[in-house]
Amino acid sequence: MPPSAPSFRDPAGCCCSFNGRVLRFVATDAISEFEQFLQTNCARQFIARKQFVSTRRLNEDETAALRESPELPPVFHAQPIGAVFEHERIPFPSYPHEWPPEMLWAAGRLTLELAQAALVDGFGLKDATPHNLLFRGSEPVFIDALSFERRHPGDPIWKPHAQFVRTFLLPLLANRRWGLPLAEIFTTRRDGLEPEDVYRLCGPLEKIKPRTLSLVSIPTWLSRRADPDDQKIYQPHLLANTEKARFILESLFKRLERTLDSLKPVAQKKSVWSDYMATHSYDDPAFAAKEKFVSEALREFKPARVLDAGANTGHFSALAAQAGAEVVAVDLDAACAGAIWRRARELKLDILPLVVNLAHPSPALGWRNAECPSFLDRATGAFDGVLMLALIHHLLVTERIPLEEILRLAYEVTNSLLVIEFVEPKDEMFRRLTRGREALHASLNAAVFEQACTPHFEIVRSLALPGTQRRMYCLKRKGGGN
Amino acid sequence: MIIAYIDPGLGALLWQTIIAAFVGLLFYLKKTRRWIVGVFRKMFGRSQKSSDTVAEIPAKETMKSKSDVR
Repeated sequence: MPPSAPSFRDPAGCCCSFNGRVLRFVATDAISEFEQFLQTNCARQFIARKQFVSTRRLNEDETAALRESPELPPVFHAQPIGAVFEHERIPFPSYPHEWPPEMLWAAGRLTLELAQAALVDGFGLKDATPHNLLFRGSEPVFIDALSFERRHPGDPIWKPHAQFVRTFLLPLLANRRWGLPLAEIFTTRRDGLEPEDVYRLCGPLEKIKPRTLSLVSIPTWLSRRADPDDQKIYQPHLLANTEKARFILESLFKRLERTLDSLKPVAQKKSVWSDYMATHSYDDPAFAAKEKFVSEALREFKPARVLDAGANTGHFSALAAQAGAEVVAVDLDAACAGAIWRRARELKLDILPLVVNLAHPSPALGWRNAECPSFLDRATGAFDGVLMLALIHHLLVTERIPLEEILRLAYEVTNSLLVIEFVEPKDEMFRRLTRGREALHASLNAAVFEQACTPHFEIVRSLALPGTQRRMYCLKRKGGGN
Repeated sequence: MIIAYIDPGLGALLWQTIIAAFVGLLFYLKKTRRWIVGVFRKMFGRSQKSSDTVAEIPAKETMKSKSDVR
């Protein structure tokens, strides 16, 4: 496997994945501070709680072997690399543009907790972006281990404060106040929203509300009046009284925590699809039959990693997680993904919920499109099982994706199992989606569907759901894994 | 120390600096309040300590009387 593009913003070092390993190359002058941080109570406690990525320094032999590898990106040969560290691998990387607001909130909470804990040990967090974190299931993990530096005890200013506001608080505020999707914010802006961006969205009354005043209006007014060429603004203002400096920082973190909590996404938010489980077109026996069918397939194939595509509120994701799988549950509806996140956290289920539309999946982003790989780049061959339940008619009708294409995508993503629900054009929901375009799907039936499956899958078993126009299929990928 | 590489903002940084100045004042107010409370506690603590010493005597006597019974 070729190495991923290395990170490049931090002068203290860079990180990349290489042959399935996650390696961090640390510059000579940053090693000692980095190792000191890893020895602090803060780092040890968060590593023990699995909220901070576990890290070990490679010994000389391991480093030498690595340096000889011709596939190692040239940047590592060019930089004065002092030491190489290896991080544990987080199963499925995800990015802020794919998170429901609940996950951005959780990532912000962990960022602040870490910043406060590091303060006690004399360290400061030098950047505060959601790109510092990944999710293991529903739990955030801080992965940018090099983000901590020894702070000057007399410094009362937290430089990343503005970045924390831009990338956590303002996106959550814009999402809560105007329903702006996080995908729209983070797909186009890596560093979130500037106060000026949000100021333009605010009406006169909104601008003077206490929270908006502090996060948006005052910073906007100040930046308009300040001289942008005045470099003195950015000079450190060190205090002789270190106790006072720490008091100021602690109060800043408490204030940010209160603001973040006031922006915590609300649970009862409803959307087009979040009520689907309560209002779907199955009666109880049909739903029980569907549940039994999926459970049997999971028991038989025992997939270690499952993708639940079109997961809705995550009923079947939970079923897969309870069967022992690491689950990635994707749905285009952020309210559904948020509901899954709450459920997974509450029941401690290994489910990573993401806001992804399979017909329009998250693209590759960042410099040279190499910083955040696309969803399909990450998903291809990454799963042993794929669930596509009550999804196919949405792709066929709403998105106009050909049946063969849908099955080909499933073939590329799974290494073994596909459980798919075929929905006849006579089905109530199918008809609702067609909106007078029934003729487009007149020739579609179970036989046509089975025929389309044959190039990629063998049919293990199928079951007509009683009282419905739907049929469940348990399919096995042909030709082994990816 | 490695040079911070993130954009510190302009308005947000100035606003943080202004708040830091206010919180700095609050620090002295809190410190003064703590000092005053400390003084009162010390005074109150002393009087309580002296009353505790008085209260301890009958307890010791009671124990002594119990051992005498044994």
